[in-house]
Amino acid sequence: MAIAIFFVAALMAVLGAVGVVAFRQPIRSVLSLVVVMVALSILFLLLTAQFVFVVQIIVYAGAVMVLFLFVIALFGPARELARTQLRFQSWLSGVFVLVLLGLIWSMVQGIQYRQPDKGTDLAFFGTVQSIAVELFTRYLYPFELTSILLLVAAIGAIYLSRKKIDDL
Amino acid sequence: MSTMTIGGSDLDASWFLILGAILFIIGATGVLVRRNPLVILICIELMLNAVNLTLLVFSRQLQNIEGQLFALMSMTVAAAEAVVGLAILVDIFHVREVEDVDELSEMKG
Repeated sequence: MAIAIFFVAALMAVLGAVGVVAFRQPIRSVLSLVVVMVALSILFLLLTAQFVFVVQIIVYAGAVMVLFLFVIALFGPARELARTQLRFQSWLSGVFVLVLLGLIWSMVQGIQYRQPDKGTDLAFFGTVQSIAVELFTRYLYPFELTSILLLVAAIGAIYLSRKKIDDL
Repeated sequence: MSTMTIGGSDLDASWFLILGAILFIIGATGVLVRRNPLVILICIELMLNAVNLTLLVFSRQLQNIEGQLFALMSMTVAAAEAVVGLAILVDIFHVREVEDVDELSEMKG
């Protein structure tokens, strides 16, 4: 059963990813990315990461994708030029991508897996509680740093999208 | 030791890793081939998601929760990156229509 779920979700994710790259209109790329996000969230659930699954749906498929859709809706579907300005670009990127795929493939084949950590309760693994225990004790400092990161990003976004003085 | 027992059946960790590699490479192809700055940002999000998948696979295989925490951190970074990137794009779109990222080369030395 889990194997069937894995392959269905993997197929969904790969088809969605191909759609992201292949569609000419940005709005279709965004909607394909939503498909990828949902398929990956199914895989996260399969990997007993319940909390990350929920965050993926809410933050990614919800908030970030709505942000993209807003920008596309505000500025119209800018259609892509068929031709690129740089010659050889698609050819060179094809070579680069094939080399990268071979590299990652050989890396995956060469992985030496470590023994799982002892004493982990899989029924408890990945729940909100188990994540909160680690996040608010051992990793409290990085957690607080991410709040500063979000604050900086919010201030930056407000600064960039403010009304300029000479527009008034 | 690469198999993981999930719901009574054995799944291999390398299947997930290869899926993550395929998604990452499709995203990289998009960044290299597409011209629209918005679509390039979308492809970067796709690559970040593929990396998140590998983090969660290793977290599950080692039965160690730290990988999941790191995936949450990288989601935060991705959200911040999307917000700032889109704000910059909106600022540029106010000035003119951009169909190709190669048009944005005024800051070239």
